[in-house]
Amino acid sequence: MPELDPVIHQPVRLQIMAALTNLGPREQVDFNFLKSRLALTDGNLGAHLLTLEEAGYIAVAKTFVARKPRTYVAATPAGRRAFDGHVAALTAILKPRGHA
Amino acid sequence: MQLSAEDAARSLAAIDASRAAMRSAVRANRGHWHLWLWGLIWIAMAMLAEFRGEAGSRLFPWLVLPGVLVSFMIGASQARRIRAVTIDRRFVGVLAAVILFGIAAPLVLLRGPVSGQALFAYCGLVAMLCYVVAGIWFDVYLLWLGVAMAALILVGLFVFPAIFWWWIAVFGGGPLLAAGFYVRYWVP
Repeated sequence: MPELDPVIHQPVRLQIMAALTNLGPREQVDFNFLKSRLALTDGNLGAHLLTLEEAGYIAVAKTFVARKPRTYVAATPAGRRAFDGHVAALTAILKPRGHA
Repeated sequence: MQLSAEDAARSLAAIDASRAAMRSAVRANRGHWHLWLWGLIWIAMAMLAEFRGEAGSRLFPWLVLPGVLVSFMIGASQARRIRAVTIDRRFVGVLAAVILFGIAAPLVLLRGPVSGQALFAYCGLVAMLCYVVAGIWFDVYLLWLGVAMAALILVGLFVFPAIFWWWIAVFGGGPLLAAGFYVRYWVP
């Protein structure tokens, strides 16, 4: 029986993980691009990314493009597994109602 | 951790919305601009050769080189939003071998005079081999596109030489444009 993940369950982190797990396993998304897609502020996104990074669910890479600092974010394999488990747990909660 | 069915449904809806937002971003980041660009370049090259003959063929580099430059700029712009974490070294090696073969083969094998059609078909086949290699590593639609286009090029060269350039415009440029629409609008 899959279990809900309290780190992922927070609404903003849920959005972030849903977006990141939609990318390919070798792809990273730009911080600002992710921020605009999810309609979040710098501080809000940054804080939640830190929590996810500490849980080992995402990897953050800082680099320079044309001398400007850029931050790229990607879901780790552990993060993908945790997210899949969380979605399975959510789906399992709804199942009894579907069979009723 | 306990959750009601309503809360679970709300969470799943939020996941769907977030995935949809990222899916549209991923779609915008796919290779359709490259496919449309090269589809138009193939059609332009075929029409130049058809209507201006040898003189038209000599203009091919003036289409291909800016095409490569524009492709590079599109790739760089897309990589600012979503980029590949690492470039697979095996992929780079195989692609380098294909390109090397593409340059070396005409020097070694095709010493005699070669028709413009045969040379174009040869270059087209090498380009399609690159598509096949990219398809194996990245996205399978490129593999099938490369195989189908290679077959169509050979059919044009050996079965319809009299209408070769029209064939290339329709069955060379056409599939590239169509593949661009496919990856932009149909691939989920």
